[in-house]
Amino acid sequence: MLKLNQLRILTKLVPPPMIFVPIATKTKANKHWNPKWKKFRKLKVVKIKLPDFYDESLDLKNLTPDEIRSKMKEQGLQPPKIYQERTFDISSTSDAFEPYVPPEGDGKMSLISVGGVKQVGTLIGKKSRSYLTVRKIRTYDEDFDVSLFAPEAQDIYVNLHKAMTDVPLDRHKIRTLVTEKAYPDVVHNLRYKILKWDFLESIEPPRVVHGRHTDLISKDNIFAQLTVRFHTKQVLAVYDRFGRLIHGSPITAKDVLEYVVFEKHLSNLYGAWRIHHKIIPEWLTVAPQDHRTLRFDKEAESTPTDTKSLPSPPADSQEPSLSTPLASGTSQPQLSTA
Amino acid sequence: MLKIFSSILSRGSKTVFTPGIVPISFPAQNVRTISLSSSRNEWEKPVGPRRWPRQNKKVFPPQEIGEERRPAFVCHMNLNFKYSPDKLWYVACMVRGMTIDEALRQLDYVKKKGAWIVKKTLLEAQELAVKEHNVEFKSNLWVSESFVGKGLVVHGIRRHARMRAGHITYRYAHYFVRLEEGPPLENIYPHKLPRDGPTLLQQWIEERRNERIYNSV
Repeated sequence: MLKLNQLRILTKLVPPPMIFVPIATKTKANKHWNPKWKKFRKLKVVKIKLPDFYDESLDLKNLTPDEIRSKMKEQGLQPPKIYQERTFDISSTSDAFEPYVPPEGDGKMSLISVGGVKQVGTLIGKKSRSYLTVRKIRTYDEDFDVSLFAPEAQDIYVNLHKAMTDVPLDRHKIRTLVTEKAYPDVVHNLRYKILKWDFLESIEPPRVVHGRHTDLISKDNIFAQLTVRFHTKQVLAVYDRFGRLIHGSPITAKDVLEYVVFEKHLSNLYGAWRIHHKIIPEWLTVAPQDHRTLRFDKEAESTPTDTKSLPSPPADSQEPSLSTPLASGTSQPQLSTA
Repeated sequence: MLKIFSSILSRGSKTVFTPGIVPISFPAQNVRTISLSSSRNEWEKPVGPRRWPRQNKKVFPPQEIGEERRPAFVCHMNLNFKYSPDKLWYVACMVRGMTIDEALRQLDYVKKKGAWIVKKTLLEAQELAVKEHNVEFKSNLWVSESFVGKGLVVHGIRRHARMRAGHITYRYAHYFVRLEEGPPLENIYPHKLPRDGPTLLQQWIEERRNERIYNSV
C-alpha cells in the first residue's frame, strides 16, 4: 500500500508516459494478511503533531492577512512591530543644489578652437555666485584659499578610492571622507568584491569650477558645496568573489575626467570637506558594464528592456571622457572609468 | 492632512492590530514558519548549521593575468525535511559528481521522497549561482559535494503491554550541496583513482613533498 506522501511525490515527479507503466506494488513479506488488528496497533501510538517546515499551505506568500492573523493567534504570537520611521541627517544636505553643468566636449576641445573659446566665455559668466560662496566660506574659515583647496580635494578623492580598496572595508574611515548622502553610493555593490585602484597622475591640475551655499532650518546653519574638476590618469580593476576580473583592467591606464562635489557644514566647528556627489551630465552615454549572457524569460521576451547584453563600443583610452555614475544601478558602478 | 489626523485621533487609546502587513517572507530553511523575534527585537541564538553557508562569503585574492580562471562555486542547504537522513543519503550519493542537468533529469525518475528534496535544493542552488555568484551559464555547473545531515529529532511514545512504553524517533534530515562551475571531474573519490604507475608515482611525490622534516630550518 502506498503512503499518501509517496503518492504525492509519484504524481509530481513521474512524467506522463510513466503513468501507463504499472508502478511496482510494494509487497511486504512481514505484513499480516488479516487487517483485523491494524486499527488497534495504530491506536497504540500516541499521536503528536509533527512540524512540517515545507508545508506550502503555511507559506506566508499563500496566506491572506486574515489567515496569517489566525495562525499567529494559534501560536500566541504578537503582531510584528512595523517601523515607519525615516532616518535623516542634519550633518549633510540631501542633494547637490544648483549643480554645475559640465560643458559638452570638455577635456577634448582645445582652447584655441571656436567651441573652446565659447566654453570659457560661458564659464566666466556663471562665476559671480561662486565668488559669493567663496566669500561666505571665508567668513567661517579665514585662511580658506580656492587655489589651495583644489589639491586638498584631490587628497580626499584619492584617499576615498584607496579606502574602497581596503580588505576588509573600513567603513568608519569611508564615513570621514564622504557625506551621509554619498555613503550608500560608495559602498553599494562593494560587498564580496575586490577593487584595485591606482592614481597615476594628474593630466591637468585640479581646479574649483563651481561653488554654492545654502542654509537649512535656520539662517546660520550653512552648508557650502564646491565642485572640483579632476582630469587624471587612473587604473581600475574590479574582481568578483573568486578573484576573477569582471570590470576594467589592472594594467591599462585610463584618462578620467570627473566633476566631484565636496560639501562642508560651515556652521559646525568640526565640519570637514567631504565628497558629496558626482556630476553626471545628461548627454553622457554610459557604456554597458557587464558583458554576461542573459537569459530572458517568456514574459520578458516580449519587452526586452535590458540592454546589458549589447556589446559596448570600443573604449578609446587616448580620449578622456566623463566617468560613469556612482550609483547607476549596474552591477559594478563604484568607480569611474574612461 | 487634517483628515488623516482626525482618523488617527478617533481611534482613541485602543491599540489597533493591523495584520495586513507582514514585512518579511521567511525562507523555508528557517526552522520557524513565522518569526517570533519580530515583536521583540531580541537577539536569538542562531540554530542550524552555520559553517556551510559561511563558505559563500569567502572572498579570494585577485587572480594574476594568465592564471587559470578559478571556478565559481555555491554552497546551499535546506534544513529539516521530514524524511530519514539514512534514506536521503542514497539520493544524495546518486547525484554526486553529475552535471546539474544530468542530476535534474535523473531525479525525475527516482521514486523516493528524497528525490523531491534534492531536486528542490539543486534548483535553488542553481538560481543562487547565477544571481549572486557570477556564474554565466546555469548549465555549466556540477555537483561537487552532496551530503546529508541529521536534523531535528522528535521523540514519541508507543504504548506497550503492562504499562510499558516504546520509544519512537521521528527524524528530520538536512541536505547540503555544493555546485561548482565547469565540467565535472572524472573521479571525485580518491579511493577510485587508477592504481597505475604514473598515478602512484605522482602520489608518492606528493607525499614526499608534504612530508615534514623535523628539526630542520
